[in-house]
Amino acid sequence: MKFTPRELPANVNVPKTHPLAELAWLIGGLAALGVGLFLVLGLVTDLIVAKLPPAAEAWLGRQMIGQLAATENQALELRLNALLQALPADAPLRRQQFTVYLLDTNEINAVALPGGHILVFSGLLAQARSENELAMVLAHELGHYQHRDHVRQFGRGLAVSLAAMLIFGQESQVSETAVKLFMTIDSRYSRQQETAADLWGLELLTARFGHAGGATDFYRRMAQTAGSRIPYVVASHPHPDARIAELEQSIAQHAYPLGAVLPLGSDLPRK
Amino acid sequence: MLEIVLQNLDLVIFLALMVIGYTAGSIAEKRHYASIEQRERELLRLMLVNASGSYPDGRVKSAFLVSGSAVISVDYFKRFLAMLRNLFGGRVRAYESLLDRSRREAILRMKEEARAKGAVMIMNMRLETSTIGTSDTSKNGIGCVETLAYGTAVVLNPQ
Repeated sequence: MKFTPRELPANVNVPKTHPLAELAWLIGGLAALGVGLFLVLGLVTDLIVAKLPPAAEAWLGRQMIGQLAATENQALELRLNALLQALPADAPLRRQQFTVYLLDTNEINAVALPGGHILVFSGLLAQARSENELAMVLAHELGHYQHRDHVRQFGRGLAVSLAAMLIFGQESQVSETAVKLFMTIDSRYSRQQETAADLWGLELLTARFGHAGGATDFYRRMAQTAGSRIPYVVASHPHPDARIAELEQSIAQHAYPLGAVLPLGSDLPRK
Repeated sequence: MLEIVLQNLDLVIFLALMVIGYTAGSIAEKRHYASIEQRERELLRLMLVNASGSYPDGRVKSAFLVSGSAVISVDYFKRFLAMLRNLFGGRVRAYESLLDRSRREAILRMKEEARAKGAVMIMNMRLETSTIGTSDTSKNGIGCVETLAYGTAVVLNPQ
């Protein structure tokens, strides 16, 4: 046997693909997966918002309110009940259970949580000047329930949290962590949702007091401190001026009368 | 600027490691291949076969074991590529060149030993590969691959 030394012309064991090209492909694949998951979660969320059973909603509400140092407030609840009484007898909202909580923070806000938990921030209460404008805020939050925004606001976090609940159970630490991580309370609604809740709230306010007085008071005070409109181009909330304009247009359209506002009751806890 | 860097320190460190891994890894690989190819040409005439052969009586002066081993480590960039590969499956191209380098380096070292001892041929050559630094229980060890090449070197009597 004769041995003929020969060099290998090419090496099949070493890939010719450039490592950076491979990195680009793999990361592209990962991104595509992420986008796919995002879209699927979006679709699932839309489905959940429409079909979420009350028991699951109550569980979410319990989880979220448990994380906050919020106290139930009877005085605010009285005012909410008065608003609910003004609804037609067959309104779906009258069959729901609502609880109003006061959260001690300087932020001027109110939030509609799942399970009928309404959070009023003490900063907002400190700003309020009349029963009517406070009622407008509560009616606005009820408007979010009416349009099921209180579920929709959590978007994809909702799908993730509910999936955790279904897989790991209601009492599991994993589900609680999922809620904590993905259901952040920042009450970001779209402008359309805010406007819809405003207009619905205005109607309820008028039904409650017989006139639409004080409907725009709260936003007027907000507008003074809100400053330029420019940041609101990208903000989720409409600029207070825009909300006032919408409300005034609706008041004129429906020819709602404007009456005198009631001063705030002394039973409200104010700092 | 500094604030952004500090806020995303994890990401900055990751990117830095990726860049270091990629540049250092590429330079090392390029140099190593240049050295491998040059030495392979030099040692081409030293016969190397897997088969176990036989010589007529009196032809072989001596026969002995020669071995060479090489350990090559993975760099951060390649490890990240391989990790992504774990998701999608397919050829782990990032690791293939590492194995190729360690096999060829081990064979070269074995051949160099044989040449230093005056052999003209290595028979019955075998390759063994093992990983070091990683095991099933510890996943964060340093991933290295060791290739061991060994065979029987043959020194012939002058004819």
